[in-house]
Amino acid sequence: MPPLHELPLRAKLVLGGLVLLLLLAPLFAVLTGDAYLLRLAQRIVIYGLAAAALDLVLGVAGLVSFGHGAFLGLGAYVVGIAFTHGFEGSTFLGLEPSQDLLVLAPLAMLVAALFAFSTGLICLRTRGVAFIMITLAFAQMLFFFFVSLERYNGDDGVALWSRNDLAGTSLAADETWFYLLALACLLLFLLLGLRALDARFGRVLRAAKENERRMLTLGFAVQRYRLAAFVLSGAVTGLAGVLLANQSYFVSPAAMSWQSSGHLIVMVVLGGLGTLIGPVLGAAAFLLLEDLTPPLMDLLVPGFGQHWKLLLGPILIGVALLARRGLLGLLLGTGRG
Amino acid sequence: MAEAALAALELVKRFGGVTATDRVSLELLPGEIHALIGPNGAGKTTLVNLLSGELVPEAGTIRLAGRDITRTPAHRRRHLGLARSFQITSIFPGFSALDNVALAVQALAGSSFRFWRPAAREPELVEPAQAALVRVGLAEKASVQAGALSHGERRQLEVAMALVGRPSVILLDEPMAGMSPDESRRMVELIGELRGHYALLLVEHDMDAVFRLADRITVLVYGRVVASGAPAAIRADPEVRKAYLGEGD
Ligand SMILES: Nc1ncnc2c1ncn2[C@@H]1O[C@H](COP(=O)(O)OP(=O)(O)O)[C@@H](O)[C@H]1O
Ligand SMILES: [Mg+2]
Repeated sequence: MPPLHELPLRAKLVLGGLVLLLLLAPLFAVLTGDAYLLRLAQRIVIYGLAAAALDLVLGVAGLVSFGHGAFLGLGAYVVGIAFTHGFEGSTFLGLEPSQDLLVLAPLAMLVAALFAFSTGLICLRTRGVAFIMITLAFAQMLFFFFVSLERYNGDDGVALWSRNDLAGTSLAADETWFYLLALACLLLFLLLGLRALDARFGRVLRAAKENERRMLTLGFAVQRYRLAAFVLSGAVTGLAGVLLANQSYFVSPAAMSWQSSGHLIVMVVLGGLGTLIGPVLGAAAFLLLEDLTPPLMDLLVPGFGQHWKLLLGPILIGVALLARRGLLGLLLGTGRG
Repeated sequence: MAEAALAALELVKRFGGVTATDRVSLELLPGEIHALIGPNGAGKTTLVNLLSGELVPEAGTIRLAGRDITRTPAHRRRHLGLARSFQITSIFPGFSALDNVALAVQALAGSSFRFWRPAAREPELVEPAQAALVRVGLAEKASVQAGALSHGERRQLEVAMALVGRPSVILLDEPMAGMSPDESRRMVELIGELRGHYALLLVEHDMDAVFRLADRITVLVYGRVVASGAPAAIRADPEVRKAYLGEGD
């Protein structure tokens, strides 16, 4: 992806239009009185944040992490565990947990970052298929840990009765407000991420993806930058987990499952590897397919809707064949080839 | 005698049964061009990899300006002033020629934990990169994607990447390989201009170029140094003629 300021006019218009669409989604939902639409838009923005964060590692640095569900789940569990103790009036490690996003979001990002740092030190010793497997293995370990953690209902997960507060006001008070908050997180990450891509940091990641050996002989301590990308990506995915828990009023180990990690990868690839913006489109496409295709398929063949993922394969192949940079490439007309 | 810019002492490297580097000792004096010749498979590239830090020797010592760097990782060695180019061109095909060199500058220009300012607009990176491109004669190709450069231009680009940051030692692994006669001639000229500014280890097959450029020649056969000395002495050495140059050549 060329620097933003170098994009052709058409691309700028498309990107501007997308942002406008995202901003107008709640207005549309309010006008039509359609709560479903607003909730869908919330999920798109939150999964879009997770997918864009994964793209930093997957598309930009070329490291196929099959374990990003772990970060999503960790973020969600910070909310779930805080809620459980708040609800019971009990303490966690002797502390009375806060229910404020201003505390929980940074805490979740820190927890996810620490997990990314400690596992990344090991994962990044490997490349290619081994990296895929070892990131998956760490996520699976965490998955089974939470499945067997009876204190927080094991694989049944934690149902939340309320959302967190933001500086004293509940996020449950207003769905539009919650949506705009998630959107702000996404746009902030995209802004910082796209700047970083063209700054020194992003250059190191992109060049190391093309030719690691050369980077080393040029004098770059490549691993340090990759680890930093992995940690940043994990932390932001953890933030998405916090938002997701609040959005769905539910926290469970399913977010850490290999399926969850796989869905994030599909969103990134579908939307456009290494573009950060593309994965948001990928998330939108994926969630729309998930919501819309089952009823359509049920109409055609009753009972067939649950197998909607059968469609994912052909769609992914189609996008892969048509566009090098996924849906974003198709939209911008720059990614063909 | 001046202190060697780079010195290898009794280096040994084995690959399974093959001893690719067999107790090799070698010195590069500041400002001199030291040619390393030998038949294919003699262990020239292996020696360059040992010196640049991409391989670790089983025995022996490497000193850079007197400092033991035998176990220093490759990326640290570049910061200490040891640069190299590759026999098989190793560049970043998706980046422009200028950005390839700017990356080389960036590696030496402080931390790359910078997230906001576009690297393309850092004069600290761009200006030295441009100067290096001018030096190797690639200035007009600055904005061309490296992957779209001709073979010879890529080799020039490699040299430009090795030049930035004023290293004290440059290892050039067959910089003329696969070049057209015209491109080779320009490369020979360029390498000649580098004499006096850097200690150069030049691995090369083209004997005309070697004898034209080298202040000293070391001959490697089966991983072992069979001769080392001034070009005239090497040319006359019967051992070398037999093993490598070929009688009546
Ligand atoms: N990575 C490696 N693994 C196994 N054998 C190697 C490796 N690199 C080089 N060799 C062997 O070491 C010997 C020297 O190779 P090389 O250093 O490439 O020679 P040259 O550059 O002089 O042609 C050859 O016999 C080659 O097959
Ligand atoms: Mg070789």
